[in-house]
Amino acid sequence: MSNTDLSNIEVNQKPVAKRSNPFANVFNELVSFCRSRSMFMLHYCTGCGAIELPPAMTSRFDMERLGIQPMVTPRQADILLITGYVSIKTLKRVILTYEQMGAPKYVIGICSCTVNGGMYWQSYATAKKLDEYIPVDLYIAGCMPRPEAVIEGLQQLMAKIKTDEANSWKKYYEHYDYYLGNQQHLFGNNWQTPTDIIGEAKTYQLEGPNTLGEHTKILESVQRPLEPLEMKL
Amino acid sequence: MRPENYQAVNHPPSNEYELNFGPNHPGIEGNYALKVKLQGDTVVEARADAGYLHRGFEKLMEDRLWIQNISLVPRICVPDPVPMEVCYSLAVEELAGLELPERAQWLRVLQLELSRIAAHLFYFGGHAATTGMYTPMYWGVADRDLLLDLFEELTGGRVYSIYNMPGGVRQDIPRGFLQRLSDTLDYIEGRLKDYDNLFFTNQIFVKRAKGIGIISQEQALEWSVTGPNLRACGLEFDVRRDDPYLIYDQLKFDIPTEHGGDAWARTLVRRLEMVESISIIRQVIKALPDIKGPVRTPIPNPLAWRVPAGDSYARVESSKGELAYYVVSNGGDKPYRVHIRGPSAMHAVQVLEKLAVGCRVEDVAQTMFSLDACPPEVDR
Repeated sequence: MSNTDLSNIEVNQKPVAKRSNPFANVFNELVSFCRSRSMFMLHYCTGCGAIELPPAMTSRFDMERLGIQPMVTPRQADILLITGYVSIKTLKRVILTYEQMGAPKYVIGICSCTVNGGMYWQSYATAKKLDEYIPVDLYIAGCMPRPEAVIEGLQQLMAKIKTDEANSWKKYYEHYDYYLGNQQHLFGNNWQTPTDIIGEAKTYQLEGPNTLGEHTKILESVQRPLEPLEMKL
Repeated sequence: MRPENYQAVNHPPSNEYELNFGPNHPGIEGNYALKVKLQGDTVVEARADAGYLHRGFEKLMEDRLWIQNISLVPRICVPDPVPMEVCYSLAVEELAGLELPERAQWLRVLQLELSRIAAHLFYFGGHAATTGMYTPMYWGVADRDLLLDLFEELTGGRVYSIYNMPGGVRQDIPRGFLQRLSDTLDYIEGRLKDYDNLFFTNQIFVKRAKGIGIISQEQALEWSVTGPNLRACGLEFDVRRDDPYLIYDQLKFDIPTEHGGDAWARTLVRRLEMVESISIIRQVIKALPDIKGPVRTPIPNPLAWRVPAGDSYARVESSKGELAYYVVSNGGDKPYRVHIRGPSAMHAVQVLEKLAVGCRVEDVAQTMFSLDACPPEVDR
């Protein structure tokens, strides 16, 4: 892989300064609470772990009591569940979907395959570590994890959101060069998505020292106008 | 505001519209895509776009020991994993000349039929959801969970049981299992009436499913349609009866058929098959206590087990259709070549492409679900 391992690097996050206005603090806490209690999960089954999601969603385990519901469009979804192995062809769609989702967005890697390749560690067709291509908030290990484990994992994510700790989506903007480099390593140097991540990073004021680098330079040199109807994926 | 690199694209005037149907779409089964061309809301052309779930199974299996492959094969078809293990085991047993104890054969039939009921419950839940009815989905999946509990008790795994191995099954049934199995079957049989009222005879469903995706008998044979989809065209063919494996020749069961070959007929065949599977399991429950003996023929050290050179072909009737394994050995400790003949590869690609033409766009999802195709098995 192109760059150093990012898994131990903390997000370069400025501590949120307590404002002097007590109402603003209460308001921020209220927003985080509401955010953690109404999450829309993107309806995308990427692998075999998706078979344990219907039991978790329906009558027996009932995920809706936690305020989690499936959502069909990425732009309105909050959680991207990667349920199992991602083949190279799927990974392109996963990255495209992830970039379309509006911040704050959370990624959960379900099953062992997202952690280290799992059962398919020697397969020529799958991506082994999901963390190299998009930042992951939470892993739920197991092949496959039971519905109870899925719900437990989602509850942990809710607790993280409540205390403003689940912000791996900022990592994508701050270390975009690293993620782009790994994507280019896999898909070739002419890899390009329709979303302008560097522009978004500037808008969100999340541009860090690692946002731009050698790989974004390659991207700039190969960037071409998008053909709206015929995206070559 | 338009991005800087935006350029308008001029297309020749056309009244055709191209739509990407999947992979991220609630109307598609699993990770699978269709590219459909629409005129108004009628489909004029459909192309299947598979490969999202490709893992290279047949190559991976050449690289692992005979016994390690047992944990790999159930991953091929996620909703109905047991026939995969059984079929692979049957092929290896034929190759190695292992004799299967009688009790193991009955236990395998028990699992196969349990898995068939579970897969059908899951299937019509999904089919109901494509017609806008979510209650059958919620009920069907919750009732399937009761069967998964039985699997967990029997094998230790909810979805992937990995209970079969060349030579038999891993262990005998736990104490009191048959009673609990019988209770669950009574419950599910009682629920079938509710499902009839809610789904199978519901006019919302019947009016939408009748006349959708019609396959004639000649077309079905030409397109190599198998399983419940073939029986829905009126042809009575079932591997369990016509080429019996395990102890299916000692069991009494009917082969339900329907005429019409449309989505409605395919659903009805599966509904009737569930009753037959329940009756088969009842026969197994009755006969099993009298069959004594071991459940497994011991195999030599599995880490250095060399299977004699040769090839073998085994086929079983899975809930999706005819499933077969062709295994070749060159006398080594790993298979030389494994080929899998899955039913969904035909149903989801060549059949679906033809059936979708002429459908309205809202019926494409229903057509796919009525064929009960399993995307991980298409891609492998």
